[in-house]
Amino acid sequence: MRVVVDLNRCQGYAQCAFLAPRVFELHGEEALLYTPAVPNDQRERVLQAVAACPVQAITAGEQAGAGEL
Amino acid sequence: MSTDTLFRRITDYANRPDPYPLYAELREHGVARQEDGAFLVGTYDEITALLHDPRVSSDVRNRDDAEELLAGEDPAAPRSFIALDDPEHDRLRRLAMRRFGPPHTPGRIDALRQDITAIAEDLARGLGEKQHIDIVDDFAFPLPVAVICRLLGVPGEDVPQVHEWADAVVAGLDFSPEEEPAERRRTALQARQAMGVYLGELARTRRERPTGDLLSQLANEDGPDGRLTDGELMSTATLLLIAGHETTVNLITNGVLTLGRHPEALQRLCDDPELMPRAVEELLRFEPPVQFLPQRTPLADIEVAGVTVPKGAPLILVLASGNRDPLRFPEPDRFRPDREDNQHLGFGSGVHSCFGAPLARLETQIALTVLLRRLGSWRLLADPPEYRRSPVLRGPRHLPVERGGGVS
Ligand code: HEM
Ligand code: SF4
Repeated sequence: MRVVVDLNRCQGYAQCAFLAPRVFELHGEEALLYTPAVPNDQRERVLQAVAACPVQAITAGEQAGAGEL
Repeated sequence: MSTDTLFRRITDYANRPDPYPLYAELREHGVARQEDGAFLVGTYDEITALLHDPRVSSDVRNRDDAEELLAGEDPAAPRSFIALDDPEHDRLRRLAMRRFGPPHTPGRIDALRQDITAIAEDLARGLGEKQHIDIVDDFAFPLPVAVICRLLGVPGEDVPQVHEWADAVVAGLDFSPEEEPAERRRTALQARQAMGVYLGELARTRRERPTGDLLSQLANEDGPDGRLTDGELMSTATLLLIAGHETTVNLITNGVLTLGRHPEALQRLCDDPELMPRAVEELLRFEPPVQFLPQRTPLADIEVAGVTVPKGAPLILVLASGNRDPLRFPEPDRFRPDREDNQHLGFGSGVHSCFGAPLARLETQIALTVLLRRLGSWRLLADPPEYRRSPVLRGPRHLPVERGGGVS
């Protein structure tokens, strides 16, 4: 699974970084870093993060991010 | 009926099972002045704006009738950060967050997954083959206290005592107007003090001999914001224990109730457990455990939807009404476990938005998943169930279900 965060939407609420700390990482108080290629054992955590993001900034799926570069 | 009695009707116990028509009435007016001078706000945009407005205080000492409100409380006792404004609120919340979550302690909540699952499985196993189950007493009630005690490092043998105090404190928040509140307030105050003293003692022990739990780390914190004083440590630990107790019990219970009422949603969740995180968000919108925030106060006269709310007046933000605002959510009165664009107010919004939200989410997702798997097929035995008294922390007192005869 792949994951993309719309960093223009992201408000730094950090819900994702609590729920899937190996995929989403907060640097300082604001900046979000993440791993676009989700390891299999993190799949469930990422789905939880997608649901928890208050502004729905995270997209996950096999196709997420494809064709965006 | 006149809108200046809306709050009385909302708090009336007879309306506990279904306050939503009253909220719809409130939304028609946006803002409603009450007979006692309080102001109710029920529309999504207005509530959100007020929660982000620095002129709106969470400290009831800014109320015109503060003296009356605080009677019996020790003015020198440290207040917890839920009841303070920035910058004090920010300093205390930041200090607590350093040991609770990212960026400094990113793995803490994630590391609780196994513990939470074990506690939930244990409780679910305890149901055995029982035909009749009370979801509250048999499952939802013991879970959040056990989890928060694990996180804080409260020893297992003390958990029942801590649970008792937490219940007494929450009972004191219940201000049903038809009841004499003084006695309950006194009991609650005593319980809060006893819990504070207990946690203070425990923290002192941990300062000498840290055990790696949240309390040990808070007691020994030496970050850029300094260290919590003994008093601040007591009030913060007490807040964490109380804020996450009945709220989470009610979210789990409301979840079972709502799924019992929506067999098609229940079936979908049983078929596709990956839907659970989104279903929990929808529950936080549809049946939020915190129905309204009763302790905001404007620090200046504020215009809200064409009405002036004067400085010092009680301002009550009805989150559960904002969550059903048709201007924000399509088909707001429908429970849709896969709802998109669900920026609900279940955890509040703005600087005071729920500190424990990631933990509450995880607990509820795990609890409901484990419970549904263990229950097999089931149905509600009482609908509506008997509710707790509180109109703020609204939820069933008991939720009897019977195995067999329902979905899955
Ligand atoms: C489903 C369960 C929960 C719900 C619905 C809930 C809801 C809320 C809401 C609506 C607020 C905002 C209060 C305000 O703006 O005045 C809040 C604040 C807070 N919650 Fe929760 N909560 C839950 C669970 C928890 C848990 C498990 C914890 C503890 C670990 C917790 C700790 C807090 C704290 C400390 C605050 C104060 C935040 C601040 O003032 O900055 N909550 N919660
Ligand atoms: S939860 Fe959403 S808004 Fe918050 S940091 Fe993650 S992506 Fe950004």
